[in-house]
Amino acid sequence: MSRKKPAEGVAVWIDERLGSSNFVRRSLNKVFPDHWSFMLGEIALYSFIILLLTGTYLTFFFDASMHEVVYNGSYVPLKGVTMSEAYASTLNISFDVRGGLLMRQIHHWAALLFLASIVVHLMRVFFTGAFRKPRELNWVIGTGLLVTGILEGFAGYSLPDDLLSGTGLRIAYGIVESIPVVGTWVGFLLFGGEFPGHVIVGRLYSVHILLIPLAILGLITFHMMMIWYQKHTQFAGPGRTEDNVVGSRFYPVYSAKAGGFFFLVFAVLALLGGLAQINPIWLYGPYNPSQVSAGSQPDWYMGFLDGSTRLMPNWEFRGLGHTIPFNILVPTVILPGILFTLLGMYPWLEARFTKDRGYHNLLDRPRDKPVRTGLGAMALSFYIILLLAGGNDLIASIFTFSVQTITWTLRIGLFVIPPLVYVITKRICLGLQHSDRELLHHGIESGTIRRLPSGEFIEETVGLPVPYQITITGSDPTARPALHGAAHAADGLGDEHAVALPEDHMVVDGQPKPRGFFRDKSAPRPEKGQRPEATAPELESTGQVRRPE
Amino acid sequence: MTNPADPSDKGSIRDRLQSPVPSSEANSGGDSRHSDLTDAGFQQTDSRGALHARGHDEGQQGVPHATPVTHAHAPLDPALEEAKARAAERKIAGLFLASFASVIAFFFVYFLAPFKFTEPNNIYFTPTLAVLMGIALGGIGAGTVMWAKNLMGHEETVQERHPFGSPPEERAAAAELLVAGAQESQLGRRSLLRNTLLLSGGALALLPLPLLFDLGPYAHKERGLATTAWKKGMRLVRENGTPVRIGDLGLGSIDIVFPDVPGGNMMADAPTMLIRMQPGEFKPVKGREDWSVDGHVAYSVICTHLGCPVKLYEQQTHHLFCPCHQSTFDASNGAKVLFGPAARPLPQLAISVDADGYFIAQGDYHEPVGPSYWERKP
Repeated sequence: MSRKKPAEGVAVWIDERLGSSNFVRRSLNKVFPDHWSFMLGEIALYSFIILLLTGTYLTFFFDASMHEVVYNGSYVPLKGVTMSEAYASTLNISFDVRGGLLMRQIHHWAALLFLASIVVHLMRVFFTGAFRKPRELNWVIGTGLLVTGILEGFAGYSLPDDLLSGTGLRIAYGIVESIPVVGTWVGFLLFGGEFPGHVIVGRLYSVHILLIPLAILGLITFHMMMIWYQKHTQFAGPGRTEDNVVGSRFYPVYSAKAGGFFFLVFAVLALLGGLAQINPIWLYGPYNPSQVSAGSQPDWYMGFLDGSTRLMPNWEFRGLGHTIPFNILVPTVILPGILFTLLGMYPWLEARFTKDRGYHNLLDRPRDKPVRTGLGAMALSFYIILLLAGGNDLIASIFTFSVQTITWTLRIGLFVIPPLVYVITKRICLGLQHSDRELLHHGIESGTIRRLPSGEFIEETVGLPVPYQITITGSDPTARPALHGAAHAADGLGDEHAVALPEDHMVVDGQPKPRGFFRDKSAPRPEKGQRPEATAPELESTGQVRRPE
Repeated sequence: MTNPADPSDKGSIRDRLQSPVPSSEANSGGDSRHSDLTDAGFQQTDSRGALHARGHDEGQQGVPHATPVTHAHAPLDPALEEAKARAAERKIAGLFLASFASVIAFFFVYFLAPFKFTEPNNIYFTPTLAVLMGIALGGIGAGTVMWAKNLMGHEETVQERHPFGSPPEERAAAAELLVAGAQESQLGRRSLLRNTLLLSGGALALLPLPLLFDLGPYAHKERGLATTAWKKGMRLVRENGTPVRIGDLGLGSIDIVFPDVPGGNMMADAPTMLIRMQPGEFKPVKGREDWSVDGHVAYSVICTHLGCPVKLYEQQTHHLFCPCHQSTFDASNGAKVLFGPAARPLPQLAISVDADGYFIAQGDYHEPVGPSYWERKP
């Protein structure tokens, strides 16, 4: 015991001043539910930490100046070429700083992973309904993180002042210029005059290493605090209710897994950073307004905007002494504005249309919310078409179609495919629901054939084990009814908090459950003009489930 | 990270049930959570309802903090358990040692291996560092996760959530405090104070705005956007500064030219392409018949869409192609837009030939070069 004394002494010293033991005890016992999909947000968090670490290292060597110098470093092919100090110092990091290239490439890969994991995490939260009350604010913060992350990424890859990033900045200037009334003012303000000017790299540097990281850090802090305070959502399962969390405690199991996972993410990024070349700026050369490389593609997270720009018809308003370039405004300003606004507002939109304003701590299975899942898949297909359009020249050269064919196909596809995806996704969800209900109702076919005294042969079925029933019905029939719900009901706040006692999942409105995958086979054929799936949305809206008899 | 109660992540329900886990096997092994799939397991997990947490959360004041109730599966044969733990311990220690060895190797490679572009075998430097760094990080990461999974137990803990909203009396009390404070400050009664504070606060918020004004020069904003460095009689020079003479360009070839001023080759709005076509193939736009010389025609390189250089020239069709957004222009017909998001033809530079046979500009472009903007005259 005497060996423990120093640590104990420190702990006592701190506790005497801050009373920290109480906090520590409560925190260490906090319970986190386990599911693989809950790790996606963690990847984003860890990527951000890695970005801070590698980015700080890069600032020691990077010179954010557009002052022209003659390159005299060790990369022979560019020796004697006039370039900006920003580009020269990036070459220096890549070729003359030991491990600099590794750090630079880890930084770039981490940025790509940061945004990719945010997007996948967003999909997880969307499709499982984790954004519902009381977590709407955290959804908005997450949307904010996505937007600031994209801006941060753009500012970052514009810094080296190479040919590709300079082309990106030229496009950014054109987008700013296109905004009616204030566009040219803002453009001059940002770039210090006409493009390219001499200040943009320095200014983007302040933005990239101070302003936006600070904003992201603040948003992440709020994001985490809210998760901590509200506790994580969980999937339905044995013993799990709307009013509890079932999982492993923060200390030691959860923190060990999460901490180990950080190192695993870092390990993968380190391997990528050294084995997979990313943004080889020395091959592009320094920026020159009259040069461009074929196949100019931005980083993937900007790709959907590049795609929308490529698909947009060449509409421009000219008259009354002014020009309004809709061919730029619509795909690069209006479209992302609408998309991100809708994204941020989604929790309220859904609550409005479903009239569901209750608390939700248990997650949905996507199939159980066919409309939401359909909408999500629809939005995703829209996004993917834009992303593909951002590479229409690459698709054209790989598949040897003409760019025009690809562009026109995608233009039409952008409006035709998403609604189709919606309908198909919804049908699949409903079909999966049907098949689930069938399992619940009939149980599992055992393969055992029994002969009845009457001579009839039947196949015996085994009742579906309870955990599977809970997965399908979405609530644990054996779990104790909610304490807090009762308390709320008593104090007049309504009983939205309470867990509805499960009802018979196989019976809706007194009718036996439908059979069949895509269509209700047991029900009589619907008459003409009547929608065959009429019962399924009802199921979704009521969400009523009952324990099988 | 699988979930005992969410079998959906272990294949479909049918798949799982067609190959049920024998209960003895399910209850042994590293992951005792599998037992949830057996009948014995259900009883255990179902009993969780009875074991339900008496613990409350930090959000609640005045409630004693109880440890959340945890539920572990029945212990197995202790000797067997310990043997398995030992095996796991050896594996984890191995991972940690691999990490340690990689760090040492990293130091050696970092200081001893060749890395300069001119040194032989320098291309292996960064990949080697990455692999060693990956093992160093991954060893610790994988070891820690294995430790948590194999040695830290598989108990499941149930914790109550605290209610989200405050009880109504709490809300009423908070609102009362706010109102009382406002009354105490006389914010509502002293409207003069309130209004003057709002006025000065609003003004103060605007104070930083003029400080941003000098971020850019605005004096000649529109003229700057609408004009380039091209002037009457100025020679067309290549990037290296040499002037272009009539006859320098072969038929169907293209050259990028700049105004003959210092730094002209780095100006963002001045780059121009000089194309030579068969005089018969080239249809001059009405009113521009004298802007070209003997099949030589000059257009701005800067795309009218978003300003990328439109440099891909197709000799046979005379199409000019922008690599950024695929706008296509017809060089033989006033650089009219054939396809893509660009709305306007590339501006044409009127050229002629001076006494020495060198190409010169007849003047600046007749319209602003590059992307559209609000003040641009139609």
